Amino acid sequence: MFTLYRFLLHFYPMAYRGCFSDEMAAVFQEVQLEAAKKGLAAQFRFFVRETTGLLLGALQEHLREFPMRRFAMRTEFRFPKSTAVLMMIILAGVVLAIDKGKAIQASLPAVNPSIGPIQPAQHTFLPVIAIVFLFFYAAGLIGWAILFALHRSGTHRLAELASEQK
Amino acid sequence: MEAFPLTEPVLLILLSLAGHPRHGYSILKDVEQMSDGRVVLSTGTLYGALRRLLDDNWIERLEQKNSSRGRQAYRLTSRGRKNLQFEVSRLKHLTRLASLRAVTKEA
Repeated sequence: MFTLYRFLLHFYPMAYRGCFSDEMAAVFQEVQLEAAKKGLAAQFRFFVRETTGLLLGALQEHLREFPMRRFAMRTEFRFPKSTAVLMMIILAGVVLAIDKGKAIQASLPAVNPSIGPIQPAQHTFLPVIAIVFLFFYAAGLIGWAILFALHRSGTHRLAELASEQK
Repeated sequence: MEAFPLTEPVLLILLSLAGHPRHGYSILKDVEQMSDGRVVLSTGTLYGALRRLLDDNWIERLEQKNSSRGRQAYRLTSRGRKNLQFEVSRLKHLTRLASLRAVTKEA
């Protein structure tokens, strides 16, 4: 029964096992000894309780870790909130500058109609912003894909393994 | 994060640690005794709750020089004690209210 218990402990996440498995096994042995003294019925109840408790506990631990693994940004990739605010301010500034430019252009009389207004220069501004935006979007997408591939390959677990061995 | 109201096993585990530090087996036995045998925790349930309480800093592992990995003792932190007191006063208020309402209904 103890062998089965140790086997079932493998259903828990590795980090959890490293922290609690020895302790759980020791407590299990103590409770098992006590149940053995109380007869067969008590032993059966103990077996059912421990097996279900262990499997449900393992499931809960995996569910608990899942959102963290999937969506949490690692500390080394985080940036302060102020950066996001600053980026928004810059974006607002750019949009306002474009609007202002358009207003100035509309207010100016066409001095030399043969040359025409400065429209072409204005029109090249927006595509540049779009290209820059697309470039950063693509770079972000590639970065995410690399991180996702690394995560799927399980390389991050090597660090956990190394720290456990210490 | 442990949320209020606490579940009965978690409340009993905290009450068990309120007196003095205990290790896993001692907590199991104390919980069983406190609930008159009604709540019998499995090791999976106990250590799941202990892990959450450790993560939320409600309890801490007691550093003991002679303890093996199989016998780690746990104790309440000041945060855990404060939260336990909060839960106890919440329950007190609830039982007081329940008794008052029950009496009013009977009258």
